[in-house]
Amino acid sequence: MREIIVAELTQASQELARGFAHYLPRMIVMLIIAFVGWVLAYLFKVLVRSILRLTRFSKLSENSGATQLLKQAALPSSTELLSRFIFWVAWVGFILLGVSVLGIVGLQEYVSRFFLFLPRLFVSLVILFLGLLAASFFSRAVLLAAVNANLRSSRLLSISIRVINSIFSLSMVFEVLGVAEQTMLIAFGIAFGAVMFGLAIAFGIGGKDLAREFLERRLVTGKREEKEDELSPL
Amino acid sequence: MAEETLLTDDFLRQLINVGEVDILVGLPTHNNAKTIEPVIRTIQAGILKCFPRERVVIINADGGSVDGTPERVTSASIDDVWNASKVYALRTLHSVSTQYAPSPEPGAALRTILAAADLLRAKACVVVSPDSTTIEPDWLQRLVRPVYNDNFDMVSPIYRRQKFDGALMRNLLYPMTRAIYGRRILEPYASEFAISGRLATDFLANEIWNNDWSRTGAEICLTITAMAGKYRGCQAFLGTKAQPNRGARDLLAAMRQTVGVLFSSLDNNFPIWSAIAGSEPVPTIGAQSEVVLEPARVDRKRLKEMFATGVAELEPIFRSILSPSTLSELQRIASLDVNDFNYPADVWAKTVFEFAASHHKSVISRDHIVQALVPLFRGRALTFLLENRERSGEDIEKSVESLCGEFERLKPYLLEVWADRK
Amino acid sequence: MPLERQSGWYKDAIIYQIHVRTFNDSNGDGIGDFQGLAQRLDYVQELGVSAIWLMPFFPSPLRDDGYDISDYRSIHPNYGTLEDFKIFLESAHDRGIRVIVELVANHTSDQHPWFLESRSSQDNPKRGWYVWADTDTKYRGTRIIFIDTEMSNWAWDPISKSYYWHRFFSHQPDLNYDNPAVREEMWNVMKFWLELGVDGFRLDAVPYLIERDGTSCENLPETHEVIRELRKKVDEQFPGAMLLAEANQWPADLRPYFGNGDEFHMAFHFPLMPRMFMGLRLEDRKPITEIMQQTPEIPASCQWCLFLRNHDELTLEMVTDIERDYMYDIYARDKTMRLNLGIRRRLAPLLDNDRRRIELMNGMLMSLPGTPIIYYGDEIGMGDNIYLGDRNGVRTPMQWSGGWNGGFSIADPERLYSPPILNPVYGYQAVNVLSQKRTEHSLLSWMKHLIQIRRSSAVFGSGSIEFLHPANHRILVYVRQLGKETFLIVNNLSSAAQAVELDLRRYKGNILIEMFGKNVFPRVGDLPYLLTMGPYQFYWFRLRRI
Repeated sequence: MREIIVAELTQASQELARGFAHYLPRMIVMLIIAFVGWVLAYLFKVLVRSILRLTRFSKLSENSGATQLLKQAALPSSTELLSRFIFWVAWVGFILLGVSVLGIVGLQEYVSRFFLFLPRLFVSLVILFLGLLAASFFSRAVLLAAVNANLRSSRLLSISIRVINSIFSLSMVFEVLGVAEQTMLIAFGIAFGAVMFGLAIAFGIGGKDLAREFLERRLVTGKREEKEDELSPL
Repeated sequence: MAEETLLTDDFLRQLINVGEVDILVGLPTHNNAKTIEPVIRTIQAGILKCFPRERVVIINADGGSVDGTPERVTSASIDDVWNASKVYALRTLHSVSTQYAPSPEPGAALRTILAAADLLRAKACVVVSPDSTTIEPDWLQRLVRPVYNDNFDMVSPIYRRQKFDGALMRNLLYPMTRAIYGRRILEPYASEFAISGRLATDFLANEIWNNDWSRTGAEICLTITAMAGKYRGCQAFLGTKAQPNRGARDLLAAMRQTVGVLFSSLDNNFPIWSAIAGSEPVPTIGAQSEVVLEPARVDRKRLKEMFATGVAELEPIFRSILSPSTLSELQRIASLDVNDFNYPADVWAKTVFEFAASHHKSVISRDHIVQALVPLFRGRALTFLLENRERSGEDIEKSVESLCGEFERLKPYLLEVWADRK
Repeated sequence: MPLERQSGWYKDAIIYQIHVRTFNDSNGDGIGDFQGLAQRLDYVQELGVSAIWLMPFFPSPLRDDGYDISDYRSIHPNYGTLEDFKIFLESAHDRGIRVIVELVANHTSDQHPWFLESRSSQDNPKRGWYVWADTDTKYRGTRIIFIDTEMSNWAWDPISKSYYWHRFFSHQPDLNYDNPAVREEMWNVMKFWLELGVDGFRLDAVPYLIERDGTSCENLPETHEVIRELRKKVDEQFPGAMLLAEANQWPADLRPYFGNGDEFHMAFHFPLMPRMFMGLRLEDRKPITEIMQQTPEIPASCQWCLFLRNHDELTLEMVTDIERDYMYDIYARDKTMRLNLGIRRRLAPLLDNDRRRIELMNGMLMSLPGTPIIYYGDEIGMGDNIYLGDRNGVRTPMQWSGGWNGGFSIADPERLYSPPILNPVYGYQAVNVLSQKRTEHSLLSWMKHLIQIRRSSAVFGSGSIEFLHPANHRILVYVRQLGKETFLIVNNLSSAAQAVELDLRRYKGNILIEMFGKNVFPRVGDLPYLLTMGPYQFYWFRLRRI
């Protein structure tokens, strides 16, 4: 009995030792990968940061309204945020790479999934950014046009445009990420419908003068002169 | 080279037949059949009266008229084949028409005219608007003579204006160009002007044609080039201008064509204008200016309202363009009643300069910056209106003069914000 | 032996205008004469002209260079005798050269016996031969021609204590053509010369023959009556003799002088000449084509007389004020060059002695419809002397050689009727017949060639003319046609090279033959015919269908 126990123990310890001996180099490799990954990720971060600074990314993000958003959320600047994000993605990537070296069966799959997910993450980030940029640009364009056309609720109009644009780009982001597709679709549908409905009502009430004016201008040409600004600028 | 693609074979053939000329009269048209004939007759009368011996050609650059404008132009030729006008001329007076594009393109007409002037080695090139129904034969002489006889490079017009005509010209373009480039040219954006062959050739070689922005306002670009390039400029009093400017009714378009181009011009010319302080008058032939006192029917309330709405609604935009002090000043003005409304000259000058600086830095889209200035200009126009309601023509000139003084005084401020902002 | 008087000879003629006094002096008295002229006929024949027009050579006080005649039936003693004239006439005819005599019919000299008689008393039989009045108020609407010298058309005669009428100088009283005796006498004068054998008359100052109150006293119907009467007599008794009118009028006003082919055979086309000079400087064909368009059709037997320069000033009466100012500024900056309403200069100095321009102008002269007149000396490019008074600057001695007095006379230079041109550019040592004869490319040789080509076809004299209107206004193009013969004339009025496209589709299939070098140019097709022209270049093309 004792012998058996000893033998089992010996065997177990031997196996453990063997297993340990088997895993140790992998572990070391993993650690090395993780360390090298950290260094590379850090370098990557520095590189990205300087590239972003060189390309005046901050101005672009300011234009898109992202900076303001971040400030409100007490987050660091967009350049810093993006470079940190890159750093973490890169390092995590390297760590996962190292983990996969360990050869743990279940983990392998997750790791590969993570790597498959990476491009999508990037695409969705780009979409989000461009979407925010477009939302900001168009909402400003609409605001200016509306103000210059002397429309009543120009601020509302511009905000709606911004909301629609943002929702649209967010829904695209989720679509790309493949997260809660159904929910997002329904949520987007509801939000979009609500905004449109609100706009329709707003236009109906606020725009009836405008519509009348438009029709008058079209149909009764004689009245047109009075409505125009009589100052000729040049 | 520009001319290679600019001139069609047919137009080139016509130019060969015209040959070298002394004076080239350019007529940019688009569906002007109604007014073109009297205008051409008047031009011809002016030529026959004042330049009977000179070789003159009338070049019509047409933007795809469908009402027969080009035919009317070509049929006005005075030659030995058919002289419908029954006027006596010493020599042949060609009247040539070309279509530069199937639809009007900003700047293209002027470019075609300049290319023809360059090719025909015209000593003087004068551009006349086809809808100037009040044109008199003498206009031609007043525009051309300084260039042709006295070696000036550019003659800009002075018109007899209605009291509140040209608010943009008097409140922004004139004071700003004057403060920036140091020359007192009353109408930096004119539909009638004359330039020397030298300036035409130089301007044609300019790179502005590759830039959409400046192409839209090629005329003001030309004036700016003349001012910045130290060409010899002068002004000539013409007379009453019936329809002061094309597209004048559309304030936004007018501002894009003029203010936008003026702002853009500051980028490249910085070394020139930053060194200029004050301004000097340019030689003027005839009256310095003339004002007809005619009551203008303007909805003051509406103007005020548009200004106030603009200030309120565009606040987030203004925040990226204007300095906090200017913005708060604007907000204070917006809260005033119509009757007490006053947008003071110094605030206006600061506003314009801050806009110019923001335009330079492109803090937001440049077009949006120009658009954002529109409601503010309305406020300034209202003040101009209120200030001068009871005033005589002379007093109006004085108030414009003092506004110009503000612009000149605050020029260092422009230099400051120009460098300051990121 | 008189040359056969064929009718219509003047239509194809080329006339050479000579003043006897200026041409050649045979007796060494410093004044040209008929014997001298006769000696130089070989030269005139060589030149190729077919007629000579002699300026007045009648006895005269010479206060207006012979235009003040004091005897219509003889020769001024300075120029020789009637016998000399007859010899000259005969030798001219022997060479096939016709002779046109100048008859100043409107007025006489105040030294003419007729006038001396007329002024002697108010009831002299010849009193009615001139126009007399007690006051100077009659014919108020009449313009004064010599505005530089005359104040009025009336002059006071202290002998008969009344005023006499004169359209020109006050020493040239006008004959009264209302008087049948005057008309009869003038016909007798013409008959005298025609019987001697002259081939025609140039009648000076024709529009002014008759005066009527309340009119301009020019171009009156009664004047035409007088002319028709003379013409009828000429045609009846001397068929083939030619009458040439000197009437400085607009083409439309000139037209009546041709009548229905029953008044003058020829008339000068005065308005064309200044416009040719104008077109050249403007580099624009408009003045020329315009005046040609205004030129009316004339009867088939009639002909225009064309000239570039003559013994008078380049007259600017038939131009507008703007045109006159332009001509003065361009061609007569120096005020001494101006006289009355004109410019008293010769062809070569007017054209800055530019050979190309001289050739172009002569080319147009020879190819436009009409009979061309060459003023003596212009064929060698003689200059003028604007410091001689009146029009004497263009009436200096002919320059035959580089020798003594330019070969004109053996007299002492001081004795010459007029100093010869001496300056280094136009003086006789530089410009003379002898030296130009020697070189093939001299102006003289070129002129001979031009005349020869002109005479090679009747198209130029009698053909129709049609102007083409290429878009390039610097190019003057016309087609001359007679029967099957067609000539295309293309002139570049510009000082720069030009390209021109001609619409010749009507002549499709023809080839062009350039007349000076006889070279063949490409066949005319459907496309515009492209020609490139050098400065002041011109082409005469004969169209041939081969």
